[in-house]
Amino acid sequence: MKPHQRNAGLAALAVAFVVFILPFLFTFLMAVKTKKEAALFLFSWPSEWQFWANLTEVVKARNYMLLLAYFNSTLITLAAVSGLVVMGAMVGYVLQRRASGWNRLIYAGVLMGLMVPPAVVPTIWVLQGLGLFKTIHGMVLIQIAYGLSFSILLYRSFIGTIPRDLDEAARIDGARPWEIFFRVILPLLKPVTVTLIVVQSIAIFNDFTNPLYYLPGKENVTVQLTLFNFQTQFQSQFNLLFMNILLVTIPPLLVFIFFNRQIVAGMTAGGVKG
Amino acid sequence: MSSVILKNLKKSFGAVGVIKGIDLLIEPGEFCVFVGPSGCGKSTLLRLIAGLEEASSGVIEIAGREVTDAEPSERGIAMVFQSYALYPHLTVRENIGFGLSLARLPKAEIAAKVQAAAEILQLGPLLDRKPKALSGGQRQRVAIGRAMVRDPKVFLLDEPLSNLDAALRAQMRMELTDLHRKLGATMIYVTHDQVEAMTMADKIVVLNGGRIEQVGSPMELYNAPVSPFVAGFIGSPKMNLVPRDGGTFGIRPEHLDLSTSAGLWEGTVRHVERLGAESILYLATQEMGELTIRIQGQDCPALGARAFATPQPGRAFHFQAA
Repeated sequence: MKPHQRNAGLAALAVAFVVFILPFLFTFLMAVKTKKEAALFLFSWPSEWQFWANLTEVVKARNYMLLLAYFNSTLITLAAVSGLVVMGAMVGYVLQRRASGWNRLIYAGVLMGLMVPPAVVPTIWVLQGLGLFKTIHGMVLIQIAYGLSFSILLYRSFIGTIPRDLDEAARIDGARPWEIFFRVILPLLKPVTVTLIVVQSIAIFNDFTNPLYYLPGKENVTVQLTLFNFQTQFQSQFNLLFMNILLVTIPPLLVFIFFNRQIVAGMTAGGVKG
Repeated sequence: MSSVILKNLKKSFGAVGVIKGIDLLIEPGEFCVFVGPSGCGKSTLLRLIAGLEEASSGVIEIAGREVTDAEPSERGIAMVFQSYALYPHLTVRENIGFGLSLARLPKAEIAAKVQAAAEILQLGPLLDRKPKALSGGQRQRVAIGRAMVRDPKVFLLDEPLSNLDAALRAQMRMELTDLHRKLGATMIYVTHDQVEAMTMADKIVVLNGGRIEQVGSPMELYNAPVSPFVAGFIGSPKMNLVPRDGGTFGIRPEHLDLSTSAGLWEGTVRHVERLGAESILYLATQEMGELTIRIQGQDCPALGARAFATPQPGRAFHFQAA
């Protein structure tokens, strides 16, 4: 390694440290301080370590609201991501493989879903009309609707790289269309599915605004909304707030670490030609 | 063993006619090769028989049953693709047994059939590998195995050897011919390689521009081509074809005698390809244009030398203009 290469590497590491590690460190240090010390908002070593005390207080706050929030958020994330994977892959497959006059129109619709920002109040009207407002499954459908365009486009372009010969070979082997999809195509979509799971589950789990608009109610609380527990108009407990932030950061981090190792590139390599 | 009959089969994509009326009888147990230049419709014709394309008009009969509108899986055919089209996420065993598992056959029966096919194709030790861990020739055999276990009435092979290197291709040609003899099944084979057509076929169908140019055994096509197209396509090096008297005069390179002293057509040696056992010589003549001549051995005149070519008696062709 040449000196200027090493210097560039060190500079990159320093930038990454400032951008990614410092905020995390700050959060952690704030989370273990006492209430008084945290209110000073200093990047300092805590004089008194309150890790367990803060932790239990955050978990117990408002009748174990955080645990309910974990349950709700996990449920919404699992259901929405499953829906996004299955529906995105199916629509992407049909759009890519079946030529029809409608394809351009459908494609334009999908692109529109990506570009046009959703409007909150009309969405709430629709949800109320359907009896889905303030319900977990209504929230799941909202998340699917918001993420579907992206996942369709992702799947459509990836399916374009899978040779049609595989579909035809399966058809000759006697596979019906849904068998071709579930037994041949879907397993080959693993790399893009893993990517989608990582991206979407982190986004949905960390979503703050959509549950705020569409899912009011104490029993419907999601993890990001629990942050309100410690920040009110008249009183803020920053040590507990940061402890809460720390706790809700962990699940997405685990998802990322777990699936990041699963991303296997080149699944289709070797099936066709050499 | 089953026959395949095509009656006035046509296929067009939009306004473009690709198959323009094909009538053909393929006898039970025959090894039939479709051959022609790229874009002649040979692959489309095979896909029509397979049911992967819908015929615009005409009739397809397999084993005496009309299957023109039947699903591919109901036609009693199996197909080997040029790209092999093995399922990358399945092992060799699962690849071969895929069709059987779709048909919900008992596990023991699937295992027995896969084992039997693997034995014929010498795939035994590879059964638990994924396709990406196989060489080209091995993948080829897996693709054939997948076709075999379906017990098809007719095998369809779409340029199955074109992704293999020359040495392996020669070996697989032999293995495929052996397999055909062993199974006795009807096989339809598409290729653009006239060597494959000549060496493997019982019957060759030469296609040109969506029509059948000529049908016959390899030697019939070599000895009695009906048109300059067939004459030029069958045989290597290509037959010398010279426009003459409103038609075409043809003479094969191996039917021209070379002399340095006297002969019918005089010219200069423009290029020489020595292959060891034989040499290919290109002679630029006044009267006949450039002639290709094949001679035994390595003895040939030097570049730029004067030489004479004489056609062997009774070997020349005269094609009337259509």
